[in-house]
Amino acid sequence: MTSLRIFFIGGLMSFRALFNWMNPWIFVPTILLGPITQILLFAYVGRAAGVGDDEFFIIGNALNYAAIPGMFAMTFTIGGERFAQTLGLVLVSPARRIPLFMGRALPVILTGWGTAMFGIVSGVWALDADIPWGSFPLVGLVVAVGAFATAGIGLVMGAINLVWRDGATLGNVVFLVLLVFTGTNVALEDLPGWMAPIGRCLPLTHAIEATRMVADGAAWGQVSGLVGTEMLIGAVYVVLGLAALRWLEQMSRTHATLDRV
Amino acid sequence: MTDPQAAVVARDLRRTFTTRQGMFRQTHKTVEAVKGVSFEIAPGELFGLLGPNGAGKTTTIKMLITLLLPTSGSASVLGRDVVEDVREVRRRIGYVFGGDRGLYERLSGLDNLRYFSELYGVSPREQKQRIGELLELVGLTGREEEKVEGYSRGMRQRLHIARGLLHDPDVFFLDEPSIGIDPVGARELRATVAGLREQGKTVLLTTHYMFEADELCDRIAVIREGEIVAEGTPADLKGLVSAGRVLEVETYGVADAEVASVREVPGVRSAIVEERGQVQVLVVSVEPGAEVTQQVLARLGDTRVGRLSHREPTLEDAYVELVTGADA
Repeated sequence: MTSLRIFFIGGLMSFRALFNWMNPWIFVPTILLGPITQILLFAYVGRAAGVGDDEFFIIGNALNYAAIPGMFAMTFTIGGERFAQTLGLVLVSPARRIPLFMGRALPVILTGWGTAMFGIVSGVWALDADIPWGSFPLVGLVVAVGAFATAGIGLVMGAINLVWRDGATLGNVVFLVLLVFTGTNVALEDLPGWMAPIGRCLPLTHAIEATRMVADGAAWGQVSGLVGTEMLIGAVYVVLGLAALRWLEQMSRTHATLDRV
Repeated sequence: MTDPQAAVVARDLRRTFTTRQGMFRQTHKTVEAVKGVSFEIAPGELFGLLGPNGAGKTTTIKMLITLLLPTSGSASVLGRDVVEDVREVRRRIGYVFGGDRGLYERLSGLDNLRYFSELYGVSPREQKQRIGELLELVGLTGREEEKVEGYSRGMRQRLHIARGLLHDPDVFFLDEPSIGIDPVGARELRATVAGLREQGKTVLLTTHYMFEADELCDRIAVIREGEIVAEGTPADLKGLVSAGRVLEVETYGVADAEVASVREVPGVRSAIVEERGQVQVLVVSVEPGAEVTQQVLARLGDTRVGRLSHREPTLEDAYVELVTGADA
């Protein structure tokens, strides 16, 4: 019961506590206009170059943008605590770490999902693209799995923040790596041979591919393998993140890394 | 000999920090922050760890509350080892540090308390009543719905204390709780801490305010440069210097070399310079029966000297003598 409450109630409260400083009049447009501008940029580049179609770029870039909350918000759930000097108080509590940190992931996943879905809907509307409305429930499910996987990589980055306080800066690079390696704007088979295997180990790659297939009319049975792989990749990152948190928390006790704010 | 009933036991606790500098040619610097600290705190006792900044008070507390691992030595809280039995120790202790950070600024005081109640597993049924009682205890009833960012430093500190008590801990660690608080706020805080003792809580308080330790603590350990240099009741510590006198000399621009020279006068136990507003005062602790006034004035050379006075030593003099003992 305690762990469940920490997961749901604690997760939501910590999300409010850590992100309440953001003015909604700045935060909401940032999170919503970002994917639209990125979609428009690559869709128009694609049109000008005569490659791909609008749906390809809408789905790729909308899902790619789910990585923004996934990575940065997750990183901030630890970095922000460190700057507010609340992290020590949280870590000295007996709360179990899995519900404590995974509870923080839940609002992050919801934000990432909302961002990506808003990007897809807005892209379809702005570019008059052809994604059947009937496919949206399944699109929504696949996007949720993609958002979960990005939160997994965000958890790893959050753990890194326990040791290196500027760990969040890494997010800028990881975002670009995802942009290039996950088939967001260039299909994996069109990338140089060495890049595709890397892309297949990253979050979003399989979710983007599955969402494109669903938008083209594929049924659940045809994409379940891809969605399952995305889920597995997300779970691997979550486990890595939690293991890293555990290890780095221990390291902070040994090397007093938390004392340096 | 360790008392099996002791609430807190520290045995030869040591903590070393290694810092690195430079990117390519790294240099390592090792600092021994705590050098073999040992003490015991009985259940229900209010124990003070007194020392100047950088003496090792916070490092000692962090080892006891499981935030730092000792480099060597051992410690236990309520019989639980702070290295091996981390979760159980955390469950039974409360921790509050000084300063105005460590709270979620954009949440209300009430939401801060609710969040930490969840972390400590306070059941929803108990939460409301417990939070209400604690708000009453720390004098924040009626202000709990306000965001913490609007709280004064004293209010924040009292909220910290309420946070630390949410799960009704048996042992409470207070790390310089009154730092930066105005005199009225500090007095209220001391009243709150005194209330904890009345409730039977075991409290470890670190402070560098002598009067605070004197007013609150049953026993005090004075820590200097990572080592405990004296331990006892406030009366015991006062006794260390009560058999002497203190000579105070107003000076104008006394040089370090002259102060060092004064320390060498036979019969002088310690000498320090205090800045009191516009006035500089040379405070000389003198052994019983020693007459040093003329010699001290002679050692001051051409330094302009104002009023001279003698007084009985205070607890603060004992503290100063203990923490400056090596070089005074």
